[in-house]
Amino acid sequence: MTKSETLEKLKSIVKPFVKNEEAFQNITEETDFINDLQINSANLVDIVLDTEEAFDIEIDNASMEKMLTIKAALEIINTKLTEK
Amino acid sequence: MIGNDIVDLALSQIESNWKRKGFIDKIFTVQEQSAINSSENQEIMIWNLWSRKEAAYKIYNRQTGIRNYNPIQFECSDLDLEIGKVVFDNKVFFTKTEITSDYIYTESVVKIIDFDKIKTIARPENIQKEEGIPYYFDVLDLVNKPLSITHHGRFERIISI
Repeated sequence: MTKSETLEKLKSIVKPFVKNEEAFQNITEETDFINDLQINSANLVDIVLDTEEAFDIEIDNASMEKMLTIKAALEIINTKLTEK
Repeated sequence: MIGNDIVDLALSQIESNWKRKGFIDKIFTVQEQSAINSSENQEIMIWNLWSRKEAAYKIYNRQTGIRNYNPIQFECSDLDLEIGKVVFDNKVFFTKTEITSDYIYTESVVKIIDFDKIKTIARPENIQKEEGIPYYFDVLDLVNKPLSITHHGRFERIISI
């Protein structure tokens, strides 16, 4: 899976929880789920669970802890896919 | 140091499906899960615990500048007492939680005596932020005072000390 394919898949996971559509339209690797997309922190766990399902990976607590930005999420997905 | 968190129960019903597989395991410790399982209203217990964790996390974030998504590591105890506890990494945060049919609201402090000093205020006009932490200039006392702001759905609470 290319990086842009991963990003597109991640974006489709994140989209339902986004409160700031403009920030979502201008999404970059630096985009922060809470500060920029204004996603409710209780919904971050949904994003973690949906990411696990969509990529068939397991995101352990140590990884989840860092999953606050697009960049961190992409890195975690890549690491877990490589480990498979 | 203060932190607060409010959950609008009508909104959380729409926004979150706590019954989905994995949700509880990722957020709550074994002990917390047993409190949830043995409570009459599991949904209320889930957001009760969540608001305690969030309020304590806000203090931790202010103290250290560290941002993490690790609610499972903020373990709640003393749930039945007037003053509850949240422990993370040997740090203790004290909590007071108000539960109504519309919302659950928690205030958290490091020193119990600070509960008496917390004031709930209207949104000040001159809110500023330093490294993500809000404060405002109190025109009566002529000093900057830290704020903790929580907003969810229909509810907002702003506290200062």
